[in-house]
Amino acid sequence: MDDSALVSRAAAKDVAAFSMLARQHQSKVRGLLMRLTRGNHTLADDLSQETFLEAWRGIGNFRGDSAFATWLYRIAYSRFLMHARKRKPDDQLDEWEGETASGEGAAHARIDLERAMAKLSAPERAALTLCFALGLSNTEAADALEMPLGTLKSHVLRGREKLKTILEGGTP
Amino acid sequence: MNDAELDTLLSTPLPERDAADFSIALMEHIAHDAARPARIASWVMVGVLFVIVTAACLFGASLAGSAIADPLLIPTILIGLTLLLSYAVFQSAKEV
Repeated sequence: MDDSALVSRAAAKDVAAFSMLARQHQSKVRGLLMRLTRGNHTLADDLSQETFLEAWRGIGNFRGDSAFATWLYRIAYSRFLMHARKRKPDDQLDEWEGETASGEGAAHARIDLERAMAKLSAPERAALTLCFALGLSNTEAADALEMPLGTLKSHVLRGREKLKTILEGGTP
Repeated sequence: MNDAELDTLLSTPLPERDAADFSIALMEHIAHDAARPARIASWVMVGVLFVIVTAACLFGASLAGSAIADPLLIPTILIGLTLLLSYAVFQSAKEV
């Protein structure tokens, strides 16, 4: 069953339909929040729960102007920003807190990428994740992050440049 | 690292996360959220009940020495209070 049919049912407070939507999208939302929280697994999952709960409460107001996934990413990002504003400055470390590299090749490269990503700003991490790992267009990503298209593009460009520098062993 | 290599690395899909535990926790949160109006209503009922019991006690005390006291008045108030209490308990039970 596609998203729009499930969304219609969920808007009529069908919990089973919303549960199916959550199952379909949870992995990507949690992945995005994992990046934003620099690998803090517990925090990412807590924010993901809040994201889906807010989506459940507000699904009646979802007009379908964007894809359901884009709407979820928007809620997730705003939840993350709300959390980040409440956090003490001392907590704002720029280190990846997730798993460490244990294998070789692709797994190692992924951990290197996560560590490098952790050194970027939140909008840069979000923009790169949405545009590349989650496959959104620039317009969709700008919509999800509620920023002008030009701002999104500059976050993507700046983020890519910083990542290249970090992965080559330099300082951004 | 060239641009193409970086794009390939960035385009690597995010690791797939298991839905089971997450979905169970989410459904619990939704159920708790859905019970919120009933929870609020039950607390309001408890408050109303408290006010009515207090008023009934004061009213009963004022009638105790009065000649116009209706013999059905106190039982009627007690039946009303019992019904209100039952409703409050019913509302509280709905959220469990």
